Amino acid sequence: MNDYKSIALAESRAYVFKIILRLSGYLAIAILCGVFITLASKAALSLQETGLSFFYTSTWDPVRDSFGAFPFFIGTMVTSVLALTISLPFSFALAIFLGEYLKQGRLSNIVSTTLDLLAGIPSVIYGFWGLFVLVPLIRDFQNMLGIVPHGVGIFSSSIVLALMIVPYSASISREVIALVPQDLKEAAQSLGATQFEVVTRVILPYAKSGIFAGILMSFGRAISETMAVTMLIGNANKIPTSLFSPANTLASVLANEFAEASEALYLSSLISLALMLFFITAIFSFVGRWIIRRWMVNG
Amino acid sequence: MNDKKSILELKNFNLYIQDKQILKEINLPFYKNKVTAIMGPSGCGKTTLIRSINRLNEGIPDIKMTGEMRLYNKDLLEMNAILVRRKIGMVFQRPNPFPTMSIADNVLAGFILNGVRLTKQEKEEIVTGSLEKTGLWDEVKDNLHRKGTFLSGGQQQRLCIARALAMKPKILLLDEPTSALDPKATERIEELVNELKSNVTIIMVTHNMGQAERISDYTVFLYLGELVEYEETATIFDSPKHSRTKDYLTRKFG
Amino acid sequence: MKLKNSLKSRLAKDVAFKIVVGVLSAMLILPLLFILFYIVKHGSASFSWGFFTQTPVQVGETGGGVSNAIIGTLMLIGTASVFAIPLGILIGIYLSENRQSKVAEFTRLCVDTLQGVPSIVMGIIAYAWIVMPMGGFSAFSGGVALAIMMLPIVTKSTEETLILVPDSLKEASLALGVPYHSTILKVVLPAGKSGIMSGILLGVARVSGETAPLLFTAFGNPFMATNLFKPVNSLPLLIFNYATSPYEDWQTLAWGASLLLVLFVLSLSILAKVMVKK
Repeated sequence: MNDYKSIALAESRAYVFKIILRLSGYLAIAILCGVFITLASKAALSLQETGLSFFYTSTWDPVRDSFGAFPFFIGTMVTSVLALTISLPFSFALAIFLGEYLKQGRLSNIVSTTLDLLAGIPSVIYGFWGLFVLVPLIRDFQNMLGIVPHGVGIFSSSIVLALMIVPYSASISREVIALVPQDLKEAAQSLGATQFEVVTRVILPYAKSGIFAGILMSFGRAISETMAVTMLIGNANKIPTSLFSPANTLASVLANEFAEASEALYLSSLISLALMLFFITAIFSFVGRWIIRRWMVNG
Repeated sequence: MNDKKSILELKNFNLYIQDKQILKEINLPFYKNKVTAIMGPSGCGKTTLIRSINRLNEGIPDIKMTGEMRLYNKDLLEMNAILVRRKIGMVFQRPNPFPTMSIADNVLAGFILNGVRLTKQEKEEIVTGSLEKTGLWDEVKDNLHRKGTFLSGGQQQRLCIARALAMKPKILLLDEPTSALDPKATERIEELVNELKSNVTIIMVTHNMGQAERISDYTVFLYLGELVEYEETATIFDSPKHSRTKDYLTRKFG
Repeated sequence: MKLKNSLKSRLAKDVAFKIVVGVLSAMLILPLLFILFYIVKHGSASFSWGFFTQTPVQVGETGGGVSNAIIGTLMLIGTASVFAIPLGILIGIYLSENRQSKVAEFTRLCVDTLQGVPSIVMGIIAYAWIVMPMGGFSAFSGGVALAIMMLPIVTKSTEETLILVPDSLKEASLALGVPYHSTILKVVLPAGKSGIMSGILLGVARVSGETAPLLFTAFGNPFMATNLFKPVNSLPLLIFNYATSPYEDWQTLAWGASLLLVLFVLSLSILAKVMVKK
């Protein structure tokens, strides 16, 4: 009889456990919805007051209550595109180097471990390094060119950003390249193709959508990067006029101004920027993952 | 056949997964302390049937079962699944000892995982007893505290049998227990089944006809979810009544 | 003749490509290693006993340390872990146990999206959820921000590990009459222990270097603070504040803090790697 009792107890515990599991799953959904609802509801005031012009006006002047997000949107896009362009050849070369030329061995291990470790260095330290090593170099360069030697600005932050996303995008490209079936490569080799031809005629065509997805995801990474950019971009709330201009990104303006925003409209406008940032990064990572999943299913 | 005592009896048992009928109107008694072999070509539902007896199919979505499985005149489909499984042990196709546990703990797993507290003496008795029954004692007695994963496949499978026997089940289900083993290890398991049947009723799925002939007392032949023939093993192998059984036994299909 | 020539040019192309790939890779690895070297060089100079035991001093005085930031960082990581580890593991179990369910599919999508939310946005969320209702900056709010960032990492690694645990183990346990929760907690989870542990370490490594979510939550504090509901300093915050300050003494402290943080994060990642290999 005791046996039955203990089994009934075990059953009810198992039932409770299943419910807890399900509730935790729901909680993950609730957290994401909560993030969105919080941002949307706090951004509502600014979008009511400023209307759609919030997205296309280019004056951001909290003192005069004029809030236009356009300079930050441009700042974000320019820095990220530039960073991605700089990093792409490198991360791609690295992925091919590790995936095709240096598959095993100590050097390969050292290189990939170094990459992993570098991906773990906090962003604030990259910013710190940029400020003390890169910015003086850029300033010299600007003096040479005869332009205002800001040092900080879009160019400096893009270079550091490029360094930061390389380990990430290299590891995605590497995973994508690893998914190219070995027998395809071997088939090409057995027909007398050189390694170069295997890469350009077999691997790249096969993996192109995966690589494209990797680029999208790296782009999302670059957009959401905050600290290093905040420290290096020069913090200017206007549309950049050259690659060396100081500017601000969506993330950096939040880092700089959120703590000092005391007025309701100012705060709400900043949260609207956060909402924009949330959407842009969510879309990039969503589309990237979707392409990869489809690519993996269809081959 | 009716003079023997049936311990488990299937009555009009049907099983559907998503409207597809996997098992059709199965009526089948299993006799106490006998070995019953379930045979049939792959996809005939034999594994599904044996898993139903252990109530292991319940995790499958859209599964529906009708009919009865009477265990001591009680429908085990109506009973608590945990209670059923404590009375009916099961051994799987591939040996699956718990990789995080030592050999001794693997034998005791049914108690440990169910939170039953045992004294040191009880533990020793169970470990020694179950390992002796499976002929594993002499092979592992010096390594009881090592992980079970270093054992050979056949030893691992016998460890899994010892783990099931430790719970003192009334019925032991074996789902193609030798399909992942080499001939030598297979032979050892077959001997073991013969030794065990004085104490426990054994139901065994196999696609190895020789194995069924060697060790079972009764043989069931399933085809496409239907019970084609059920007889004493000697009878079914000597003179199968149905042409399907005859074809299968003479390797015309399967 | 023609074939031979073209073969020559093909081989030349191949060699050229190999060289380009090698050079680009080297060009990239070198500056990255240089960054690491630079941090070690400048950081180790400021390591001393006082660096670990004292709090920062005012401008003009020499010496001082980052003990308050070390304690603050540990408090933040602790708070984040308390929330993120159990919840992350539970969600990971839920996802691996319900592979076909539509709700689980949606949950997975939400976890992935959560992982991509920029860290600065997490800071704003924790500000809205905790700082505003409680009326002030606090270690707790910072910990919550970090917890939400850590959650997806723990969840994904748990799920990915548990999917690899063979179903046969689960069935072996169920067949012994072990109830579902004991099967998961005592058989399935232990089988995936090393993978889950490494996920936790990676999660901690990831959030311990985060600055952006702390700017308006933990906020920073020049003094030693151990109250969970008061502002605290943290190593990344200290680096940010002192790196952008004009005082050399503070910058020196920031280099030391950078090295300390890098060492901490890197040893966690190495430990995580070693765990998975085992």
